[in-house]
Formats: sequence, C-alpha cells, structure tokens
Amino acid sequence: MAKLTLKNLSKSYGDITAVRNLSLDIRDREFFVLLGPTGAGKTTTLRCIVGLERPESGEVWIGENLVNEWSAANRDVALVFQQYSLYPNYTVRKNLEFPLRSKLRQIPAKEIGPRVQKAAETLRISHLLDRRTDRLSGGEMQRVAIGRAIVREPRLFLMDEPLSNVDAKLRELLRAELRQLQLKLGTTLVFVTHDQVEAMTMGDRVGVLYDGELVQIGTPYEIYNFPRNTFVASFVGSPAINLFDAGIDGNKLVVVPEKFEIALQPAVRERLHKVAGQRNAVRIGVRPEHVKLDMSGDITGRLYGAEDHGVEMILTITIADHLIRATSSATTRIPVNAPIQIAFAQDKLHFFDTETGANLAQI
Amino acid sequence: MADLDLIDIEKHFGTNWVIRKLNLRINHGEFVVLLGPSGCGKTTTLRAIAGLEAIDSGEIRIDGKSVESLPASERDIAFVFQLYSLYPHMTAFENIAFPLRALRMSEKEVREKVNGVARVLRIEHLLQKKPSALAGGDMQRVTIGRALVRRPKAILMDEPIGALDAKLREEMRVELRRLHIENKSTTVYVTHDQVEAMSMADRIAIMNEGILQQVGSPTEVYSWPANLFVAQFVGSPIMNVSNCRVEAADSISKVRLDGMESPFHFGGEAHQRIAAAGHDEIALGVRPEAVLVKRTEQPGYVRGEVHLIEPLGACDILDIGIGKAVIRARTESRFVTRLHESVWVQLDEARTHFFDKRSGLALDRKR
Repeated sequence: MAKLTLKNLSKSYGDITAVRNLSLDIRDREFFVLLGPTGAGKTTTLRCIVGLERPESGEVWIGENLVNEWSAANRDVALVFQQYSLYPNYTVRKNLEFPLRSKLRQIPAKEIGPRVQKAAETLRISHLLDRRTDRLSGGEMQRVAIGRAIVREPRLFLMDEPLSNVDAKLRELLRAELRQLQLKLGTTLVFVTHDQVEAMTMGDRVGVLYDGELVQIGTPYEIYNFPRNTFVASFVGSPAINLFDAGIDGNKLVVVPEKFEIALQPAVRERLHKVAGQRNAVRIGVRPEHVKLDMSGDITGRLYGAEDHGVEMILTITIADHLIRATSSATTRIPVNAPIQIAFAQDKLHFFDTETGANLAQI
Repeated sequence: MADLDLIDIEKHFGTNWVIRKLNLRINHGEFVVLLGPSGCGKTTTLRAIAGLEAIDSGEIRIDGKSVESLPASERDIAFVFQLYSLYPHMTAFENIAFPLRALRMSEKEVREKVNGVARVLRIEHLLQKKPSALAGGDMQRVTIGRALVRRPKAILMDEPIGALDAKLREEMRVELRRLHIENKSTTVYVTHDQVEAMSMADRIAIMNEGILQQVGSPTEVYSWPANLFVAQFVGSPIMNVSNCRVEAADSISKVRLDGMESPFHFGGEAHQRIAAAGHDEIALGVRPEAVLVKRTEQPGYVRGEVHLIEPLGACDILDIGIGKAVIRARTESRFVTRLHESVWVQLDEARTHFFDKRSGLALDRKR
C-alpha cells in the first residue's frame, strides 16, 4: 500500500482546462473521495493517476516514486469502473484469475488459486466462483469487478463511480460493504463520485472539485459544517442549504430583495462584524435542520409545502417570497398555506461573500 | 377532474404476468403514486389508464364509466413522460397553448389560461423562449404546463423528473406537490424513487412483480408496512431486517438476533403480536431511527460494537455489530467518533416490526 501525491497537476483538452494546478496528498491507507459535478475534472484526475492520461504539467507520486514516465501497467494501481467490464463468457473464477495470468506480473501458477480463493472469501462470492458472469446480479457483478482489482494486491485502488449503476437499496448496502472492505484490507483508495451521500458516508477525507479546481479538502464533518464557499455548502447536504443575501444593518440583517429581518443575538452579531469587515451585505447560509419551528420565533412565514419522508418532514416555507427549507419531526402536521413562526439557530448561520461566495470565516 | 377505478386489471406478455388482479380506486383530486422497482408493472398500469396499452381482463372506469371502447385521444387524460416532448420550433408559450388552439379557443382565453398555468409553474419569464434555450427543469415545467392547461380529467406522469439532477429534483418535488394543491388535478404518478413517492403522494400504491403490495398514505406505508417488501423498499437508510429466535413467556418475549447472547425483551403490545403468531419463524424489522443507542451501560440495553460510522451531515448512521448481526442506527452527528467502540442498544418497542418469515407478511398490530 502507498500514499499518493499530486503536485501542481494540470491537464487541458484543446481550449478546455480539465484540471488546473491541482495538488493533493493522499495518505497511506486512506479512503479519499474526489467529489464534484459532471465536468469538474474528477475523472481526468483519476486517469492521470492511473497513467491513462498524460498531464501537461505537474507530478504524480505513488509512494516514493515519481511515476509520470511510468506506463499504466507499471504503476501497479487497480482501477474499477462504473461499467463492470467483466468477460461475460467466463466464470467468476476465470475473471478473477485473468489479471494474475498476465505475463507482465509473472505470478507463479501455484499462487493463483489461493489468491483467487482469498479474494472471493473477502467479498463473499466463493459460492459464485464457477458461475458465468452474465448470470450474476448487478451487485454480484460489482463484487467480482472489485475482486479482480483485489487479487492483484496493487499499491493503490482507484474507483470511478463504481456504484452508480446499481439501484438505490443495493447502493446503500455496497457503500457500507466497500468501506468495511477497505478498512479490512488496509488499502489506499481513491474514489470518484458526483454523489455527495457516497462522499460523506465513505470518505476519511473528501476533496471537492469544481471547474477543474480543488475547492476544499476535509473530513466529511468539516466539509458539511465548515464549507469553504457557497458551492461546497450547497453541493453537500440534502435537503440543500438555504442561501439568501442580506444587508447588515446594526443589530439586524435585512434579507433582500423581498425584505424580512433577522434580529441578531449579541454573540452572533459580534461574530458577523468580525468576519464581515467593511462589507455592508453578506450571503447567509442556513441548513434546513437549523431552521426551527418556534411559536415565539420572530420570523413569520407561510407553509408552502410539506414532504413526509417518514423519518422526518421537510417543510418549504415562504418568507416574503423567499422559499426556505426546514426539517422537522415526523409528527409535524401543519396545513399548507397556514402561517408559521420560525427562528434560525443563529450560532449555526454561515456568512459568505456576496460576490465570490467565499466563507467569510475562512478568508 | 375525475375518479379513476381500476377493477381486476390483468395483463401478461406471453407467459409473463405484468399485472395481476389489480384493484385500485383513485379519488377525485387525489395524487396517487405508483411505486416499485423496474418491471413491477407500474408503467404498464399507467399506460393502460391512458389507453396506450390494452389490458387482458378487468375494467378501467373514469367517473364511473367504462373506457374500454374509448381510444386514448378521447379519454381526456394528459400524459407527461420522462423526456420532454416539446415542439422545438415553438416558444414555450406556443407549446403550452397548443392543446388549447386545437380546441379553437379565443386568443384572449388562450392567453389567460397559458399565463395562469405559467404563474403556478413559475415560468412566466420564460414564455417567449424556445425549448433549446431552456434548462432541463424548465423544459419539464413547460411540458407539465402543456399537460395541465386544458384541465384534463386526469394527469398521468411517468418518472417526469427522473432525468433531472439531484438538486433540481428536490425543487421540482416541491413544485409538483404545490401545483397539485392549487389545481387539485386527479394525478397518477409513476416512479421507482421512494423519496419522490413519500414526499408528494396523498397515497402510495406499491407494486412488485405485477402485484399490488400495499396502498396507503406515506405515513402508513412507512410506519405500518404490510410486508417485508414494502418495509425495505420504503425508507432510507433501509429498515434493518434480521432473522431472530423468539422465546415467549407469560408477559414477555425474549428476542435474539443471530449469535446474540443476552436477548432484547419485549413486553406489552409487541409481546402480544409475537405470541399471537404462534410460531417462531419470525423476522424482526426496525428502522435506524427506532434503534436507541447509549454510550454507557443501561438496564434493558444490549452491548454492541460500532463497525462503521456513516456521517450524513445532519445525522450519523452507525453500523453496530450485535452477536453476528449488524444493526444500523441513526444518531446525532458525532455521537460516536471512533470505530470499535462499545455502545448499548435497545429497540423502540412501538416501532419494532415483526414479520412472518414464510409469507413475509407483517404480524398483526393495532395502530
């Protein structure tokens, strides 16, 4: 197993810059997630690590080796794709043996059987070894694809959206299974996804990519609770964070363009003034779980819609033409269009720059 | 707006049953979601209502009248597909106005109706744009506007927001629900996404392998699932389901999951449900939020070990090993921060389900 270091990596296709000056240290045995929307540069980054793509500039280090000039085969990393790319006419066993029989690796024949057996046991597919892969379910196929990466015992695992082709229930199970597996094997794993739930639930750390640039690196807790900017804040978390602009007016914030006021508690006012500097306006971010139904709350709205999610309700509330999302207990029953009093958990308010979206607490 | 009645609907392709003995009444003004995995028969059912698919037996009634002999065009039903089917050379306004023009409505009336629908859908500012200039969510809004504008007897939607990204889907769910509240159109909505079903439906009809499993409000199907399929199809994270061994005594049932030393104790109503089953071929089901977790030993709680922590931001999901079983629990964020820590677990009796292992049916319970 190995650590992975990217130094000032850049890659463009024609006029389009896919990855811009990206630097990253991934620790030995870490589960690292690259998270971002389509076109953010995650897959390009991954392909540069594997050696399927040559960066224009920058360095890729695997362990203590600078591997820029190494072929993909020599880098000793295993890549698992979204498509399982198994040989359909072969049995599971043959699919697992295949990478070990490569001339490049020169693995003694007597080692192959035990290694396949061990990988199959780890993934709980021993009973499927003699079945053809086209007779497997989606989840089983994905396990075999992962198995084919495991048998090689590579220095590094890379996975490109490996769970996005399986249905929601199975994805939930495979998520936990994959994370358990990584802990058990003690491997370094780089996992690419556009799904923030996968990133949050599996990663030791998450790197959020946007438009070819690494916006933030942190633990799931840090990314969720201390987002670097409005992009990270709204990309991570479901239901999404509420964002709205407000003018700073002494002890209160005046939300615009349709106005409503938030009277600030002293401690929060102090915090705001510290981070806002000379600004007379900020973008406020507040997560739905920090919008509280509160009979004595000083903000009045109307219930626009209520979604029953079983475990909780998600309420959409209109306040002076702003739509604000709140979560509340599963037993909440309020008729649509009814007036509603709310209060924000003010210690949880985020303040961002209205132009750049940067989190003012982190500039 | 109209009532829809589906009576003993059956349909098969060759030897494969697609729909079996389906009975469902959709009331005037109701939003009903047909929910199930792919191949469960939900889309075929929807297409049969629209008249796009013939059924083998049974009857479909709209406002009490059988529509068997009516072609799709005469059923006065609007259909919205996953893919927007807008006329590319027409503006959004003209696309929405299209069905009205076919009715030879006056220009003034057309404008009023189109503007009315556009206001509800929040697309007034987009009316002069052509589809190619619209984002996916806006295109779907226009498609829905076109379906609604002529006030059909019912509106049928087949995964209408399935192709949109996650954030937009979140917004569209609220908008569609809001639209329904304002228009009160009888709506039948097909999806495989349980979140959409839970968040929009008045009632959810859950199908699997052509068979209707349960019909009920979101709260009903979530809190009182009729069988194991419904229990695990609705809700995320998935309901924990474990085989268990049961020892029923006079006033208490001892329930052990696989490999568990000290059992969970159930008294009262849960005990009666277990005892009434009269056998021990029972599976236990409990949603992650009904698993109570403590950091210290407590009477009545059973020790477990944290195998995995999945942070979701607002809360964490813990995988807790108890015996050989793993139970997932929902806790506040950072309740446990280290793997392999010991925690103590109890199951909330009122929210613990028991199922007959052979039939998969929920053991009877009082609501």
